[in-house]
Amino acid sequence: MEYPGTENAVKEVLKILGVTVVMDPDQTCCAGYVLTCSGYLPTAPLAVTARNLALVEQKGLDTYVFCNGCFGYIRELSHILCSHPHYLEMSNQLIGRWGYKYEGTTRVFHVQELYALLKDRIAEHVVRPLTGLRVAAHYGCHYLAQQYGMVDDGDLPTFHEELFDIMGATPVFYKERRMCCGYSVGRGFTHNEELVQPHLARKFESARDERVELMTTVCPGCNVALDREQPNMIKRGLDGLNIPVIDLSQLVALALGVPIRKLGFDANTTSLDGVVKKLGIEKGS
Amino acid sequence: MVRERDKDWTDDLYKKVDCYDLVDNLEQCLQCGKCVGNCPVAAITPSYNSRQIIRDILMGNMERLIRSEEIWRCFWCANCYRVCPVDIHFPFLMMELRFKALEYHYGIKYVFPFKKFALRALEEGLTFVPGTKGREKIQNLRATIDTEPWPVVSDKAKKEFKAIFDLTGTTEWIEALNEESDNPMICTYREGKIVDE
Repeated sequence: MEYPGTENAVKEVLKILGVTVVMDPDQTCCAGYVLTCSGYLPTAPLAVTARNLALVEQKGLDTYVFCNGCFGYIRELSHILCSHPHYLEMSNQLIGRWGYKYEGTTRVFHVQELYALLKDRIAEHVVRPLTGLRVAAHYGCHYLAQQYGMVDDGDLPTFHEELFDIMGATPVFYKERRMCCGYSVGRGFTHNEELVQPHLARKFESARDERVELMTTVCPGCNVALDREQPNMIKRGLDGLNIPVIDLSQLVALALGVPIRKLGFDANTTSLDGVVKKLGIEKGS
Repeated sequence: MVRERDKDWTDDLYKKVDCYDLVDNLEQCLQCGKCVGNCPVAAITPSYNSRQIIRDILMGNMERLIRSEEIWRCFWCANCYRVCPVDIHFPFLMMELRFKALEYHYGIKYVFPFKKFALRALEEGLTFVPGTKGREKIQNLRATIDTEPWPVVSDKAKKEFKAIFDLTGTTEWIEALNEESDNPMICTYREGKIVDE
């Protein structure tokens, strides 16, 4: 929502890679956020998930999302639906009135998995190598927390760094790379920013010490938390902090030569001007 | 710390907390503590201890659990779940524990700010919808990058999304949220050390 450039970047990148994207206006929010925040029973989110996935099943497709949160919730909730027959029955009864039926045949993937699998195709299409740019990855917890059926190891994942390497950037490993972004407490739920700031300070300190020039996320939530919180970090006395945070899709789009205007970098609190200048790209192009 | 009495303890508390069967295997907890070692909240809040929370649930002290402020600090990062040798889904357990706390009117102050936001989400079929000013800003931004003025959600989808919330009673619950019915909570964490009262 806050970074429309991400959505655009996903579409543009997949177009270049020859993947057809089917966007369905009948889809709604994954309702995971309502589940965790409202403090009310999981029935509504279960039914919403069943409805969204039933729509995909009708078309005979697989589900791809570009947010770790949605990915985690849809995976977990569909797992609950498939493993608890009474929840499945309840949900199908609820959504049956509009003619939907969820059977559990569609599989749920994250777009980053597609990038990892289509690595060679990305390498062929790089027209704007990111030479010399020190890029660090933030994987996000809700992808790595899925222990089964992922493309990489949850403890020491490297597939983002492999992608950076292919696009000509310098992958940087910083100490707290696996650390949570703190979104749910700092911004999403309890709005207790005081509580997350010492936590985020540790993350940014280790990134700054490794001279990170750009950080990528694969979740709009992480992006908001890491990007919007930086001015507060500086206020708290973390010197020399200037790490723009963008989505992995935006970085891939940058390397694949998508016009920078379409990537919506103006939405970022921490400006990307330095990065764009270093890569020698005209701002309006 | 106040001495606990027999009547403070609840038999089979784990079944009461996990009444939606989302965790299922809590009894298998090995008390190994890997979850605490991987927990970013435990790193900054020493009195938050996921291993101890599971133990308390299994032992059955409900009052201490639902009154504690610590259960509202979980980031949902699920690192505990990732490393758990018996795959206990601790984030779901935490969610159910919060349900329990709310049932006894603890922690409503944390859910209350969500009310306005949730009611807006119900109308739009989308979460994270900002207010009028924020919406204008995003629309301006979207106009500069050649995309639709707003994420497309069909009227049919909006109607059905809202209907699901109405039918399950979620709308009613959200509308009834009232900050004043909140009970005070206890936090055992003060200035970097655990306080034993």
